[in-house]
Amino acid sequence: MAQHDPTRLAGIFRSTLQRTAWLAAWPLLLAACGGQSIILVADPSGHVGQAEVATAAGMQRLEKSGDMTQTRGASKPPSAVTTADPRSIATTFAEALAIEPPPPLVFTLMFESGTTQLTAASLDQVAEIVAASQKRPAIRIRISGHTDATGSDKINDALSLERATQVRNLLEQKGIPARLMSVTSHGKGNPAIPTPDGVAEPRNRRVVVIVH
Amino acid sequence: MKTVARWLFIGLMPWTSALAEPSETIGHIQTLQGDAYVQRAGVDQPAAVGTELRQNDRIRTGKPAAVGIVLTDDTTISLGSNSELALNDYAFEPKQGRFALVLRMVKGTFSYITGQIGKLAPESARVQTPDATIAVRGTKLLVEIKE
Repeated sequence: MAQHDPTRLAGIFRSTLQRTAWLAAWPLLLAACGGQSIILVADPSGHVGQAEVATAAGMQRLEKSGDMTQTRGASKPPSAVTTADPRSIATTFAEALAIEPPPPLVFTLMFESGTTQLTAASLDQVAEIVAASQKRPAIRIRISGHTDATGSDKINDALSLERATQVRNLLEQKGIPARLMSVTSHGKGNPAIPTPDGVAEPRNRRVVVIVH
Repeated sequence: MKTVARWLFIGLMPWTSALAEPSETIGHIQTLQGDAYVQRAGVDQPAAVGTELRQNDRIRTGKPAAVGIVLTDDTTISLGSNSELALNDYAFEPKQGRFALVLRMVKGTFSYITGQIGKLAPESARVQTPDATIAVRGTKLLVEIKE
């Protein structure tokens, strides 16, 4: 009888062992399927920056659009840099890319020196901001006042905040709901044209309106 | 009277300092498809376009779902289905020269576009995944975290 055939029995035993080993290996295989892929691409303006991906065991630098590294656990080094397949990017990231918020609209307004009076050209832009915000439609509008690096910080900040508030009031008068807008002063900390401290730069004395 | 005022002041101090940071708005939900949730102090709230975000919030998406968020420095992050993101640390105070940005991507698919912090203080912008820490300089990054 087949049941008493020692080689057959050994065969069944071996195949059971194999099956058990196979089943036991599944969690390991699944773990190996995890891990992360990090891909550098151009930002909406076409600019490609840099990213350094570091685990406890090593680091890889991504420098060109399409550069990709993958990780397989925090204690292993990230993989050597390869080029990501554009088709697999389109598939894997279809949802995230489709929902990507559009780049904000950015407007820069200038003032008559030392006052909260907008220049004539900037005053014209206010109507443009209103139209663009209504068309988008705007979810948030951030208004920031900026100074250059001359004179007293305290006086500069007060003036830049007053100017930003003035812009918010104008936008509200022209129909933008107040709840969408927030106003801050960035002082000299976020210049359009970086200068050393103490340098007069009229182009840095501005209000920036960012429409999201 | 003076003593009462002083005790009142001291009594209020921890309360005001506790409120100062975490209650600040650091961003908002800009785009949304399907169901997404903002978890704050352990409580899930359904996300809607315009929902304000705060430090330590966690954003989660269902399936199928996708959400796009914008932080106050214009950092833009979008999440595909079954994704989770924690806003671990954030400061955008150019006047004081104070910048911080630590995002933890827990699972799912992400598109991440750096904002003004990435330009003004790139060394303070960090993305964490379960395996790695990523330092990003002025760019866009795609990240997939498989479970």
